[in-house]
Amino acid sequence: MIRTTAPTRPERSKTMRKAQNSKAVLALQDVVKTYEMGDQKVHALSGVTLDIGDNEYVAIMGPSGSGKSTLMNIIGCLDIPTSGSYSLGGEMVANKDESELADIRNRLIGFVFQTFNLIPRADILHNVELPLIYGGVAKAERRERAIHALEKVGLSDRMKHRPNELSGGQRQRVAIARALVFNPSIILADEPTGNLDSKTGEEIMRMFDELHTAGQTIILVTHEDHIAQHAERTIRLRDGKIESDVLTPDEVPASLLPSGSAANYDLSSAGVA
Amino acid sequence: MHESLKIAMSAIVANKARGALTTLGIIIGIVAVITTMTAFNGMQTAFRQGAGAIGVDVIYVSRMPWVMMNDFFLYRNRPNLDIDEAEQLELAMQGRAIVNPSMNTRRDLRFRSKSMEGVDVIGTTQKMSVITNRMPEYGRFLMEFDVRYKKDVVVIGTVVAEDLFGDVSPINKEIDVGRHKFRVVGVMEEQGGNTFGGPNFDRQVIVPISTFIKAFGGRRNTDVDIAVKASTIAGMDDLEYEVIGEMRKIRKLRPSEEDNFSINKLDSLLGAFNSIVGAVLGIGLLVTSIALFVGGIGVMNIMFVSVTERTREIGIRKAIGARRRSILLQFLFESAVICLVGGLIGIAIAAALTAVINATLMPASISGGILVAALSISVIVGVLAGFVPAYKGARLDPIDALRYE
Repeated sequence: MIRTTAPTRPERSKTMRKAQNSKAVLALQDVVKTYEMGDQKVHALSGVTLDIGDNEYVAIMGPSGSGKSTLMNIIGCLDIPTSGSYSLGGEMVANKDESELADIRNRLIGFVFQTFNLIPRADILHNVELPLIYGGVAKAERRERAIHALEKVGLSDRMKHRPNELSGGQRQRVAIARALVFNPSIILADEPTGNLDSKTGEEIMRMFDELHTAGQTIILVTHEDHIAQHAERTIRLRDGKIESDVLTPDEVPASLLPSGSAANYDLSSAGVA
Repeated sequence: MHESLKIAMSAIVANKARGALTTLGIIIGIVAVITTMTAFNGMQTAFRQGAGAIGVDVIYVSRMPWVMMNDFFLYRNRPNLDIDEAEQLELAMQGRAIVNPSMNTRRDLRFRSKSMEGVDVIGTTQKMSVITNRMPEYGRFLMEFDVRYKKDVVVIGTVVAEDLFGDVSPINKEIDVGRHKFRVVGVMEEQGGNTFGGPNFDRQVIVPISTFIKAFGGRRNTDVDIAVKASTIAGMDDLEYEVIGEMRKIRKLRPSEEDNFSINKLDSLLGAFNSIVGAVLGIGLLVTSIALFVGGIGVMNIMFVSVTERTREIGIRKAIGARRRSILLQFLFESAVICLVGGLIGIAIAAALTAVINATLMPASISGGILVAALSISVIVGVLAGFVPAYKGARLDPIDALRYE
């Protein structure tokens, strides 16, 4: 599964998108996010329109200050747009209150962070159970599902260990198990290999690849090309706007490559086989 | 609920020294509160035991009320009650109530080389044992002929028996009461309960009232108290009403004149006692609640530290779906558990202290009510102290919290 460096990217300035077979899991329409810093207004996102379908494997890239983190926060329902609409799993997110957002994060989104973000005092099993606890799942079922998720990432023998007793790669696998445990609509991974050596990083990426193969929708936020290479589609941001939205070259089956100039993303094309 | 408890416990156990120090404040507060309440209960019990000798169903006619606030001047010109008036009242109440006069003074006692200073000397009749339901432990009480023939006999309290006689049997020994010789005929059973400056019924001697007048004072200048215990009259109020009526007749008071005597009973004494001790309790609780308040501030402080330390954890929890309420409850629970643990330890210490008080000072015990109150107070303090920090934690923005280092 280890990929070599990608061949040269098609030098296109226009955005491209993968043909969409299934309905959109998430859709952003003209999303603007503005922060007020004293008197100044900072436009972190200025009009992002984006559609991600079921079982897509998307990398979001961009230099710092491009709005990458803001976009991730909005997709992850940690933040809401200043204007524009965002729907996730058929639900409009823009006008939800805090607890509704918490419930959406709980059920629809599985986060994987660069710094793993496990709770240090709790054992692995409890960490993986946590989303189910907040989701109100009964104890017996919770345990079963958490164990199952830990089996998926190959750590079912470490359930009683604490995070600081595990290696970085193992911790990230725990985080993946925690992200998976509630069968989320999307996995949102923010620089998931950023704190790992390259070999372990590749192992983690292979795990994402397998999840994708199994049908999981995955969004990677990264600034590393070789990580983005794992995804099927790469969205580049610059100055709060989408700079390019292309199929990752070595993932693109020839038959799906647009022949002429690529069409801009268009809602009416969604669902067209 | 169970999960929150586990989370809270692990958070507390993770910082043992800090938790212990914080809990100490609550422990001290709870110990102070419980001990104050226990002491109050103990005082009441001690008072009841002591005052029981007064008799619950007895009223006393005296010159002065037992409880005077700032109105002594109202009573100081009243005439003494004398033995003749007692006899007239007895005659008037004949068949309806038992009437027993008594007089008292203080004298030094002496038996051979041993002596006691300022012992209460009661001059009364054989009816006193009926009024107070107290009987001698050894020997006999006064008898009718002792009173009629002015016998020089005395019944002594247990403290007097111990101090003057030690291991020697006091019966039939002669002692000096003041300058007069009396023969001991009985030793009263122990009364107990003399903690708070009330009458010590064990440190007194009882002589016939006729002998008392002969030995210690003129008929006129010694004040008589008249105890009245109903035999056929039903209620205490009725008894009081009738006694007042008879006394007014004896003293020939016109309807426009006020009573120039007082009716006293255990209730009035108990009421006065409760209001005094209640005030003491109030002040005590105020002071102890300051201790508890300071303990609560300590908990609040530590909860602020805890919330700040775990900002990132809060971010993680929020990211994976914790609502504000879950975070709020988590920290509220934690501070409630800290305080509850403090409360439990405090109760254990207070129980030990109470046992010591019970053994040394006065009857004291921790009642179920006090236990429940102490535990509720701990939890309430925990919730109040934890609220602001917990609210702060719950309000954190998940993005900022996740970024917190």
